[in-house]
Amino acid sequence: MTLNLCVLTPNRIVWDSEVKEIILSTNSGQIGVLPNHAPIATSVDIGILRIRLNDQWLTMALMGGFARIGNNEITVLVNDAEKSGDIDPQEAQQTLEIAEAALRKAEGKRQTIEANLALRRARTRVEAINAIS
Amino acid sequence: MWVSSKPSSLDSSALSFRSFISPVQIPNSNPSISNSRPSSSSINCSLKELRGRIESVKNTQKITEAMKLVAAAKVRRAQEAVVNARPFSETLVEVLYSINEQLQVEDVDVPLTSVRPVKKVALVVVTGDRGLCGGFNNMILKKAEARIRELKTLGLEYVVISVGKKGNSYFSRRPYIPVDKFLDGSNLPTAKEAQAIADDVFSLFVSEEVDKVELLYTKFVSLVKSDPVIHTLLPLSPKGEICDINGVCVDAAEDEFFRLTTKEGKLTVERDVVRAETIDFSPILQFEQDPVQILDALLPLYLNSQILRALQESLASELAARMTAMGNATDNAVELKKNLSQVYNRRRQAKITGEILEIVAGADALV
Repeated sequence: MTLNLCVLTPNRIVWDSEVKEIILSTNSGQIGVLPNHAPIATSVDIGILRIRLNDQWLTMALMGGFARIGNNEITVLVNDAEKSGDIDPQEAQQTLEIAEAALRKAEGKRQTIEANLALRRARTRVEAINAIS
Repeated sequence: MWVSSKPSSLDSSALSFRSFISPVQIPNSNPSISNSRPSSSSINCSLKELRGRIESVKNTQKITEAMKLVAAAKVRRAQEAVVNARPFSETLVEVLYSINEQLQVEDVDVPLTSVRPVKKVALVVVTGDRGLCGGFNNMILKKAEARIRELKTLGLEYVVISVGKKGNSYFSRRPYIPVDKFLDGSNLPTAKEAQAIADDVFSLFVSEEVDKVELLYTKFVSLVKSDPVIHTLLPLSPKGEICDINGVCVDAAEDEFFRLTTKEGKLTVERDVVRAETIDFSPILQFEQDPVQILDALLPLYLNSQILRALQESLASELAARMTAMGNATDNAVELKKNLSQVYNRRRQAKITGEILEIVAGADALV
């Protein structure tokens, strides 16, 4: 049986092809999906997605969303997804530092919510790059 | 006499320097000096002026025509963006629909769906970045002003989130309108921009600073028609349906998109209504998390795609408006050029006739 993965963002299809295995960061922890997985629906946290193609692992930064698994079809709907190869390491590191500084300076409930979200996004992007090496 | 002729020649030189280069002008100017000065110099000058005007109209026409073509090409790109967004929104609607089916029995409480008594309303106003597109920006800003007046009469507070350069400059010139944030639009709306707006709206709503979020944008109806509309973004009703200001429900399962086609060499627009199919969704589907949590993850996505859609529609409307405006401008330029050259030719001919008459009369006098 082959497992098909489809990663969709609001403006494009990021990934639509066959994979051997994926590891998905959900809100309740990471789950690994192999062919013939039981049909489940899960929310996807801001975190990394690891994809196995034969013996090669690929990493992708996902910016929160939803996934549906069933019938050997995985559909991942996310706000934004970036392949680790497409992320500029320097830029990502800088964004992380800016986000950390913003959180320290944040005042009030609203700014804290925004700063926290930004920090988690930035951290995920850096993690996605470092996962390869 | 000299005083009167000098400024006029200066004027014409300022209008176009081409008249000095053109060789036709030199033989024309010679007999004018020998003739009675005031009348001929005024004709001469207006001929030059006319030529300058014809030239400038011609240049304007070139520019407007180019802008029209560019806008037409961009409408195509805007349409592609909408088509690219379709797989996402289709799947999203499908999933949202089926999850709602399974959640009908449960009483869900998600922050984004909480309906509170409205005290303050956030208005997200989507405008364009550039002018020269007819009444596009004015229409949406007028709509925003009307809505603000309405809210004032209802005694509600409001805050504006402005998207797009035109709206930004409009609101920054009016300091009495409270603006939460100025955001820039771009040539092609991406998920990142929608995300920026969604983040802002989300934090405003969740922190209970505002109790309702309305999105004001221009809906793309056809290449010649677009409507400024108000769309309630938050709170989302738990059915995944969005109600507009008149309380009319826009069903989430109904997906509208526009398509640009070529029909008999002319651009036309087809607007399709596609019923999203909600089949083959496994009934034994398990929820990994609490259904509430899953809805929590889905609804921001829905919010995001709604905003993206609005940005795309607004861009398409702007480009269509620019196409029409520039088309009209080109037509006007063509007509103006025609009239001007008619006058120019008539005057030139009259002048030549006069000169011939003079020469003949002179020859007669010599004999």
